[in-house]
Amino acid sequence: MTAAVETSTFQRRARRAPPTLVVGAFIVGTWIALALLAPWLTAYDPIAVDVTNTLKPMSGEHWLGTDSFGRDVFSRLLHGARLDLQMAFFGVVGPLIIGTAIGLLAAYYGGVVDALLMRVLDVTVSFPYFVLVIAIVAVLEPGLRSYYISLTLVNWVTYARLMRSQVLVLKNAEFVLAARTIGIRDRRIMLRHILPNAIAPSIVFVMTDAVLTIVLGSSLGFLGLGVQPPEPEWGVMIAEGQVYLKQAWWIAVFPGIAISTLALGFSLAADGMAKLLHAAQ
Amino acid sequence: MTDETILSVEDLVVDFETDHGIVHALRGVSFRLRRGEALGIVGESGSGKTVACRAILRLLAENASIKGGRIWFENQDVLALDAVGLSRLRGERIAMIFQNPSTHLDPLMTAGKQVGEALRVHRGVSKGEARRQAIKLLADMRIAESERRVDTFAHELSGGMRQRVMIAAALACSPSILIADEPTTSLDVTIQAQILDLLRGLRRERGLSMILVSHDLGVIAQMCDHVVVMKDGRVVETGSVEEVIGRPREEYTRRLIASQPFLMAPASAPASLGEPILALEGLSVHYGLGVGFLDRMRHHGGRTIRAVDNLDLAVGRGEALGIVGESGSGKSTIARAIVGLAPVCEGAILCEGQRVDAMAAEQRLRFRRAVQMVFQDPFTSLNPMFTVSETLAEPLRQHGMRPERDIGLRIDELLAMVDLQPDLKRRRPGQLSGGQRQRVGIARALALEPRVLIADEVTSALDVTIQAQILGLFARLRRSMDLTLILISHDLAVVRHLCERIVVMRHGRLVEAGRTERIFAAPEHDYTRELLAAIPRVKAMPA
Repeated sequence: MTAAVETSTFQRRARRAPPTLVVGAFIVGTWIALALLAPWLTAYDPIAVDVTNTLKPMSGEHWLGTDSFGRDVFSRLLHGARLDLQMAFFGVVGPLIIGTAIGLLAAYYGGVVDALLMRVLDVTVSFPYFVLVIAIVAVLEPGLRSYYISLTLVNWVTYARLMRSQVLVLKNAEFVLAARTIGIRDRRIMLRHILPNAIAPSIVFVMTDAVLTIVLGSSLGFLGLGVQPPEPEWGVMIAEGQVYLKQAWWIAVFPGIAISTLALGFSLAADGMAKLLHAAQ
Repeated sequence: MTDETILSVEDLVVDFETDHGIVHALRGVSFRLRRGEALGIVGESGSGKTVACRAILRLLAENASIKGGRIWFENQDVLALDAVGLSRLRGERIAMIFQNPSTHLDPLMTAGKQVGEALRVHRGVSKGEARRQAIKLLADMRIAESERRVDTFAHELSGGMRQRVMIAAALACSPSILIADEPTTSLDVTIQAQILDLLRGLRRERGLSMILVSHDLGVIAQMCDHVVVMKDGRVVETGSVEEVIGRPREEYTRRLIASQPFLMAPASAPASLGEPILALEGLSVHYGLGVGFLDRMRHHGGRTIRAVDNLDLAVGRGEALGIVGESGSGKSTIARAIVGLAPVCEGAILCEGQRVDAMAAEQRLRFRRAVQMVFQDPFTSLNPMFTVSETLAEPLRQHGMRPERDIGLRIDELLAMVDLQPDLKRRRPGQLSGGQRQRVGIARALALEPRVLIADEVTSALDVTIQAQILGLFARLRRSMDLTLILISHDLAVVRHLCERIVVMRHGRLVEAGRTERIFAAPEHDYTRELLAAIPRVKAMPA
């Protein structure tokens, strides 16, 4: 009986899911699958140099051709997906958690707590964004771990602001007042009553942010501060392929298409998610 | 008034296309408006009354489509008009005013510009001339100092003033018909009385034909010659006001009339005021205007609003006390101060002889159980993510009211107390009607088995028939659970039905307090008299 009810709710939800969410999730899902299955989908080592086989166009042997070191572009593309998806995830999860927590606490308690946290936020925002991210990475040590740390230190402000504006409204909503009236404690009010109702815009933004994180990560690779060659990463691949754009366009164009499709997938998913969360309320 | 028909709606069918399928908003609606007449359209939310009015001006939302029927205005087929004809019709021949004057005025336009806009567009008058006429129109709306007010923005005006500006803008081009969609619903009763008075005068002076849409039969009875009763997109009954209200033919009309709070029986003779269960002694609640703590440091608490000022009030055990006042009177602040949602600046709140405002946290938690509150807005007072049973389980668990294994049972009992089916408990607020949500809100308050229940404007967002049911529920719960009830409302009629004693508030101060019959029969204070006079009454009593 309960199971039957559960399925019917699930089916109703699935039917209600906006097409943009379905398509977006499909694209992102496909890339995740390709990334996971990369070692089995291609016979080539993504970093193995083959000087006899450089700049070969697309063929049955090398589906997407080879680059200036004779490495298989298809293999590098799939293995690159692993790195780029990892960046998309770890680049947003820290800022999301820390920013959400700070925004929630600041708005809920208000007063001095709010004033102090928001001044810290103002200071962070007052630095030019890219310069700050790059500076932090450079100070730590070039590499992905520094990139994640740097993003967390800089990017939390967006999530804190999103959360704060939501909570400022919600904390005076009647259901929150009602919870206080029945004696529910602050922690539970914040976690059970406010957070689930306030998180929707942040979740939507995470999708967009994931794309930005990949693009910025790729730029860092370009500057030599992110992923280091010969590691396969889409941004690094584009940077390397750019020199050969006339003779061997496939080196740069395919990673470009990969970034575009993944970005499209994320933003479609974000759009659909926004619709779905809006409908749920 | 002649018998000439100026506007007729014939068999109008309107569908809305939504994510959840097609909604039939109007299923064949017909009515006619005679020249110089005031026609009332009454019905509850979802009855289609607003859709019918908007269809006349073809102002429907994008997802709406007119599937059938005709609208005739002075032998013109409104549905066949092109964009130019429609624009002329809207500004010059038929004008419309809306429920919420604060959102229907452009915040970046002065009152004068707003009023003069139609003149500039339709009559092509100069800026100076538009301004001159706007001043005159504002004066016609009985706005004092219209020369000065012509340059004010919407946010600088009160709700009543905004509605006057909106009426002035609507009448700028001297239309033949004014459609007023719930023009006074968001206003205080005394302001409502002024606006209705203004509309009545305008109709006489200008020979306007008027369509007045309202959920309030009292307003319609006062203002209109004929009335159309609508329900579920159909016209249920139509006729002269005397006929429909005096001798309603349809069951639904009878129910609507019986639900009018003013026609409901007043509360019966009170028991003598028992020992006080709750006492407010010199209670003051002030709010600082500075928002941040830096502002507060700078101003040293300078500008404050005295929401409640030095109030003494005792509530006897078992009594039902009504607190009445208009917006800004401080009536809701009292409730919030009692349950600890508003800071007590001076004075004391005593519950059963104990100071509540000075209690330690642990003790206060216990007190919370004794005094519970039901909130105003059923659409925001429940957590949209919680199912009904999660909402009800929360207070039970927090206070350990029942052992874990009995919580499900207790939830069913609570639902039964407020007349809800147990199978509703898996639903979330989005899947409940306004009345059902409000019942869940009441059940949540009852979960803690309180001795005092505070109800803050609990029916103001509900339809009249639902309001009547909820008031009935309160009366029953009070008897069966031996509750002390504090009912807060802007509506004296609602309070009269339920409470034996009434307190009238204004500007944070107590104006008058006394037994309900006494307040209604012999009000002592001018303000109370004004409030009483402002209640729209249904003149003809049903047989």
